[in-house]
Amino acid sequence: MRGALLALVCLVAISPNAQAVDAASLDIKAHAGKVVIVDFWASWCAPCRQSIPWLNDMQAKYAARGLVVIGVNVDTERPLAQKFLAQTPARFEIVYDAQGRLPQEYGVQGMPASFIFDRAGRLVGKHLGFKNAGRDEYEALLVKTLNGEKE
Amino acid sequence: MIRKALSLALVCAVLSGCKTLGVEPWQRDILAKPEMALDADPLESALDDHIYFSKEASSGGRGFGGGGCGCN
Amino acid sequence: MAADSVAAAVGATEMEEKESSIGAALAAATCSLLGVAAIAPAQAQEVPTWQVDTAALYYGESDGRVKDASVSVNARRDFQDERFLSLDLSVDTLTGASPNGALAQGGAQTFTSPSGKASYSTNRDKIPLDDTFKDTRVAGGINWTQPFARLYTFSAGLGASSEYDYQHAGVNLGLSRDFNQRNTTLSTGLSYSSDKIDPVGGAPMPLSQMLDVGNLANRAGSKSKDIVDALFGVTQVISRTTVLRLNYSYSDSSGYLNDPYKILSVVDPVSGDAIPRTPAAGTTGPSSVYLFESRPDTRRKQALYGELKKYLSGKVLSLSYRYMTDDWGIDSNTVEARFRWPFQTGMYLEPTLRFYTQTAADFYKLSLPLGQPLPRFASADYRLSDFNATTVGLKFGRELGNGQQWSARLEYYQQTGSAPSGLLIGNQATRDQTPGLKAIIAQFTYRFGL
Repeated sequence: MRGALLALVCLVAISPNAQAVDAASLDIKAHAGKVVIVDFWASWCAPCRQSIPWLNDMQAKYAARGLVVIGVNVDTERPLAQKFLAQTPARFEIVYDAQGRLPQEYGVQGMPASFIFDRAGRLVGKHLGFKNAGRDEYEALLVKTLNGEKE
Repeated sequence: MIRKALSLALVCAVLSGCKTLGVEPWQRDILAKPEMALDADPLESALDDHIYFSKEASSGGRGFGGGGCGCN
Repeated sequence: MAADSVAAAVGATEMEEKESSIGAALAAATCSLLGVAAIAPAQAQEVPTWQVDTAALYYGESDGRVKDASVSVNARRDFQDERFLSLDLSVDTLTGASPNGALAQGGAQTFTSPSGKASYSTNRDKIPLDDTFKDTRVAGGINWTQPFARLYTFSAGLGASSEYDYQHAGVNLGLSRDFNQRNTTLSTGLSYSSDKIDPVGGAPMPLSQMLDVGNLANRAGSKSKDIVDALFGVTQVISRTTVLRLNYSYSDSSGYLNDPYKILSVVDPVSGDAIPRTPAAGTTGPSSVYLFESRPDTRRKQALYGELKKYLSGKVLSLSYRYMTDDWGIDSNTVEARFRWPFQTGMYLEPTLRFYTQTAADFYKLSLPLGQPLPRFASADYRLSDFNATTVGLKFGRELGNGQQWSARLEYYQQTGSAPSGLLIGNQATRDQTPGLKAIIAQFTYRFGL
């Protein structure tokens, strides 16, 4: 089972725009050696109109240095998520979780929410909400994590 | 009578007794719809308030804040 | 009997639109008090820089009574990170006639117009209506909303309105805080209003007689009024499809609260008929003894409001109830129901129903019997009487894509009063002294982005 999941995730890792099937859980260890941002978003989340383009920028800027962004969509109606993506495309991996199992597992406290994991797969940061004013600080944390510096 | 009802509402809302009420942050899809906002049409509400205040002896009551997507 | 009837005194105004400008004042205050909600909630579509809402409204009563046409615009700019600026502007014109408080009599009646420069008449057995006014009012407001700290939202606003003889200026502040992962929101708001009333001809001395045309002896100058409103609210998410709100509000008005143009008929204590009088030589004037009304100079209101919104597979049901009580002895209950029913893509129908009841103010009187000591306060304004009112309406709306939408609604509003038998004296019972009110409300709105 884990092997199948691993294979699936690896497949997804190769094609950043591919739409993964509903995932029961995310295997961060599949991205060992990379810094991973897991971002929870939805079509009805107004700040996500800003957070998704910013994550696109981060993914593009730091992909070479080993950044992987995974967007977890929690829409219960898939067409709404697709309509949102048509207007605001995401240039990173999208995982669909209409059942809400992943946000439950991660303990999401608000929308949008993101979790940063370092290259060893440890959780090093959480972000609740998305403010334009906080982008630089967020990016600074990303760079620190990419550099392997401890907080 | 008003004070009693108000205290009850406040107590109910804030104390842990009512923590069972509500939804998870990722379950606010329906609440985020514009038609589910508590004052979905503020311009129309203001026009109605104006008419009824001119013709009756009562006014207002509506407030602000809460519901919706709960984002940020 | 003077043949002079209605003189359309230019600029002459009536309390009707004093009430409506008070309404505007309060509406502006309430709208700004709404703070966050004065702005339609942030939607997760592509948001243009400015979202503009426009509305054209027509309000028309039957039987030649009040008609009001207005145009309103609200423009909102989203400054990112949940900061909003909202600008409002509205213009409305009021025409038509309104009951002046005097009772219908067996013969024709003549009254001096509010300006004191002309007179108007009413036929026998008809409720006297004053139609010597038409006025245009302009109202504007500005509101700023922003979060501070993660769970707090702050808003502040200014509002003002102006017409020929009424000016309003107000300020409001609001604060809300989320709890329980934003399932619960506590809100509080405060608003202060300062109004200046400049009745045409000057404010009449309360309970003084309506004098002949040209006689302004019992008139003083302009008056003022202050209103402070406070609001405390709780919003609670009940389930994925249900949200509930409860508000408590308190309002304190002080200053000139009279309607400067409303009068009461002085009547014979047995027959209930008006006491006839003859105007002075060389002029016209009131055909009977009428006294200008008098209200207390303070009013404290409290209201409890509850609203429930429920989503039912695409349809939305809204139910609300408000109970209001004040120190004038008025109690009111308002129940409102709306059902938004979408059909096809981007179209919806929304029927609405509203029931309202109020009890009369302690000092509400139909007339003043001669010979009895004058009460300290008295008013025959039907808006302070016992009545029930019903509104039925239907709205149709259409979303056009790219953020544009329009809607049209038509409503019918009816007030049915009943004069408590204890207030009817003698012959007064033979006439319908509380004919009520019937009105049509028509509105068209259009929203677009810039």
